[in-house]
Parts: sequence; C-alpha cells; structure tokens
Amino acid sequence: MSKVDLSVEIAGIKMKNPVMTASGTFSFGEAYTDFFPPAALGALVVKCVTLEPRAGNLAPRLVETPAGLLNSIGLENPGVDAVLAQFLPPLAQYDVPVIVNLAGNTLEEYGEVAAKLSTSAVVKGLEVNISCPNVREGGLAFGSQPEMAARVIRTVKANTDLPVIAKLSPNVTDIGAIAAAVEEAGADALSLINTLLGMAIDIHKRKPVLANVVGGLSGPAVKPVGVRMVWQVARQVRIPLIGMGGIMNVADALEYIMAGAAAVAVGTGQFVNPRCCLDLIAGLEDFCREQGVEKITELKGAAQV
Amino acid sequence: MKYHLPAAPVFRQERIGQNIYALTLGSREIAREAQPGQFVHLRCGKGADPLLRRPFSINAVQRETGAVTFWYQVVGKGTELLSRVRAGEYLDVIGPLGRGFQTELSGKKVGLIGGGMGIAPLIFLGRELAGKNQVQAFWGGRSKELLPQFTPSTAFSAELVTEDGSSGRQGLVTELLAEWLPRESFDLLCACGPRPMLAEVARLAREREIPLQVSLETVMACGVGACLGCTCKGAGPAEGQQFKVCQDGPVFWAAEVDWDE
Repeated sequence: MSKVDLSVEIAGIKMKNPVMTASGTFSFGEAYTDFFPPAALGALVVKCVTLEPRAGNLAPRLVETPAGLLNSIGLENPGVDAVLAQFLPPLAQYDVPVIVNLAGNTLEEYGEVAAKLSTSAVVKGLEVNISCPNVREGGLAFGSQPEMAARVIRTVKANTDLPVIAKLSPNVTDIGAIAAAVEEAGADALSLINTLLGMAIDIHKRKPVLANVVGGLSGPAVKPVGVRMVWQVARQVRIPLIGMGGIMNVADALEYIMAGAAAVAVGTGQFVNPRCCLDLIAGLEDFCREQGVEKITELKGAAQV
Repeated sequence: MKYHLPAAPVFRQERIGQNIYALTLGSREIAREAQPGQFVHLRCGKGADPLLRRPFSINAVQRETGAVTFWYQVVGKGTELLSRVRAGEYLDVIGPLGRGFQTELSGKKVGLIGGGMGIAPLIFLGRELAGKNQVQAFWGGRSKELLPQFTPSTAFSAELVTEDGSSGRQGLVTELLAEWLPRESFDLLCACGPRPMLAEVARLAREREIPLQVSLETVMACGVGACLGCTCKGAGPAEGQQFKVCQDGPVFWAAEVDWDE
C-alpha cells in the first residue's frame, strides 16, 4: 500500500506533516523529548519570547474547569538574548522547522525581537503573539483592533525576512476583520485561536482563583469556537491557517483541517497525553488510508455546506 | 528518564482511612528509577472532565515486581473516579517525575516530619535512608480516621500524634518535633504535609540551623516543566526565581522557598 503524503507547506516552511506544537505548551522543546523525538513533528513552535526577561504572573496560574484549563502564565520567558544564546542552539540537532513566538510591550519591541530572532540559523519562522490575554501591555491590546494588529505585522515584516505568522485572538467582535487586516499587512499565515478570556471564583474565599484575576481558557471546551473561527476566516483570507484550540485526538484535528486549516497545533492536549502529537500524526495517516486520501492537503477545507 | 505508560495494570487498591486509598500499579520502568520524593502523574478517568492528570507522590516501589504504590485522599472529581478503579483495570501514568529528596547520605541522623497524606513519600525515603543512616520519623494527623493506616516500617522508628488524641499522643507534629529538637542533633530534616505545617517546620529548622528539605504540593497541568503553571516563589539564595514545582521540585531546600507567598 502506498504511503499517505502528510507533508504540507506553510508560508514557505516545509513540514513533514501538519502537526505542530502550540506556543507556550512545549517549552523550548526539551520537556517532551523522553516521550517522542521533536523531529517527528511537522514544526516545533516554542514559547513566547520578549525583549526583556519576564517573571510571569504570580501563583496560582492554573485552574481546571469542565473540559478546560484556565491559565495565566503571563509570558514568562528568559528574554530574547538568553533564548538566542541558550535555548535555540540545542534545537539545531533536530530535523524539524523551529518557529518562535514573540511579543512586545510596544511596536518597537516587536520589531527589535523579530530582528534579533532573525539572526538565528535555527529559526525558520516567526509567530507574532497579538493575542495573549494574560499581560497588561502588548499581547491582546495589539490584537483586538484591525489597524493596530496590522501595524504590528508591518513592523515585524520590516524587521525580518522570515515567514511571519500572526496568532489571532478569539476575544474580538469580528475575527475576520483582524485576519483580513493582518493579511493585507503582509502576514504569511495565521494561527488561530489563542485562548478565550475567562475567570473562576473561589466561593469560599470570595476571591478570583487566579492571582491575575482572569486567564485564558483552552482545552476541549473551546474547540467548537476554534473550528468556527477557522471556518469563518478561511472564507476571508487566502493565506494558510494553522488551526488550534482543544485538539485532543485525530478527529479534532480533522475537524480543523476540514474547516480550512492547512496545519494544526496541539497545546493542552499534550498536557493530558504526552504523546498526543505523535498519536495525531499516526491517526491522520490511518484516516487518509481508510478514506483513500493520498495527500492530506486534499482534506483542507473539505467540509462543505 | 520519564516514562509514559498508557495502560499500566492496577495491582491493588486498598482503603486505608476515611476517603484515603493506597493504589498499586505495575510499571517496571517507574519502579526501577523512582527516587523518594518523585511523583507519578495519573489520568483518573478517560473523558475530558476532569481534563488534567493528577500528581501523586510515590509511597513505595518493589523493583523486582514493578509495583509502584501511592496514597491519595478523595477530594474531588479526579480522585473520586480513581477510587472506583479495581485491580485488573488499567491506568494511564507518567513517571517518575520531579526532583526527589537527597538520598546519597551515610552515617547521618535524619528526622522525617510527615503530616497526613504527607507521610506517604517519607516512608519511601525512610526505608531508603535507614540502612546507612539513623532515621527518626514524626507522624501527625487530625484524627485516627483521617490518618492513613499502614504497617510501621521496622527499618526506622516513628512517633505518632493526632490533633484529637484518637491515635498516638494528642498534639501537633510540629509540637512533637519542637520537643525533640533540643535533645537530638539532626543532620538533616525532611518534611511533607500541609503548607502551614511545613512553614512551622521551616521556622524550627532555621532556628537550629538544621538543613531541611520539603516536598511541596500544587495544582499542576503538564507535570514535566512545559506549561510553567505550577510556580512557587524562591527566597534566600533563590530570591527572584519562580520555581516550577513539577520540575525543580516537588522537593526543595526550605531555605530556597518563600514561606510568605
């Protein structure tokens, strides 16, 4: 039996398969090496990097909710210089494209971090975080208005020759308008969705559970929202989409692909099953074989009305 | 090395107290490599609710049979599901995880201070240390029913107190420790239990300048250092650090922990 072709290309980044890690859920690649080799992945998206080191938010940072996880990590990272010096070089040993997620407090910082990351031979793409719900400045503040989102993407594009992926927030009135604006500004691909803004209250203490008060909701609870947004945005832009939000198994991944995603990313699913990405890759291959699909790209946007 | 066993067999599940259970599962890999203070990260159900794994400190391992035992108390959805698991069924487990207690010791006098479920990892530690060291344990609980029932190890001696005096002497384990400290010179203390108990043990140890290792408990998501969710504030030599309990701990030197957090 012939082998199924799972390869995809996103913004010029050639990937063996469409399964990626979601930023902030795979550290800098080292946490899961005991469970599977990073080279098995389509692409490795590492933790969000900022210009200066960030300590992140105070504890508690996590709350489990029904079929979901609320987090308020707060973009904890060692800063771009340390990432370039210590965390990225070891990734050169793996045969996998590395994509770095980045954020800034100001437009200039987005540009500066992008320029610095572009000096690394390991980095094959930049994912621009304009959607983190857990920081006061930057993040979501840049991603909730089309014109502001476009300015961030133009600034990053002006500072790099690498493919630029814009990571969009679901916490907006019209995600299609943001998607169209960042495509116009030169984004080469889109990642969607980041987490949904949420909150939990400790009724005995009469206080919010998270030290940061609010956090981002991920996990199976948000999947229908993500699938709908991928479906909607796929009808409004021409650039490829990376679908994410609550992918736990191959059926979830296929929903995103059939909604219009060229690739998918796993975050919370990895926390539950440390071999989730590997299981998805095998599952996609099995599904294609059973369905007589030769290339995974045939399934992109396959859902029709 | 961390291992993921999607279907580890359950050897035994025993009720050892009010809502307290000892579960033994089979994993030669985990039994072989586990160190006292390390934990296993377990999926309690098969569905999406509860979503996350639950961490449990290892209580005992049998390297020959691959038996790995941990204790837990039913406190929520996850542990409630776990309590219904029977021998012969299978559980999805990752382990051994985290940094355990220092065990490369000989000729030392070591004190173990365990409160309630916190006794579990210290029994593993006591057995490991007892051959080459002199070990004295102090166990405490709220009452007889809320204290896990177990056969005391013959490898080391232990004193027991309960808050209501229903088992052992009446009192707090920290009071028991405070009585002992003036007449025994411990080289090292190791503690596990509720946070206020640990903070008090840390205070007593600091007063007498005895090195103390504590095992901390937090909510965790990944358990392997990826999500950065289970933080604990560093102090002293670790001032300004945000430890990850799953990876940098769960065992820490008390002097590195910010007890005011």
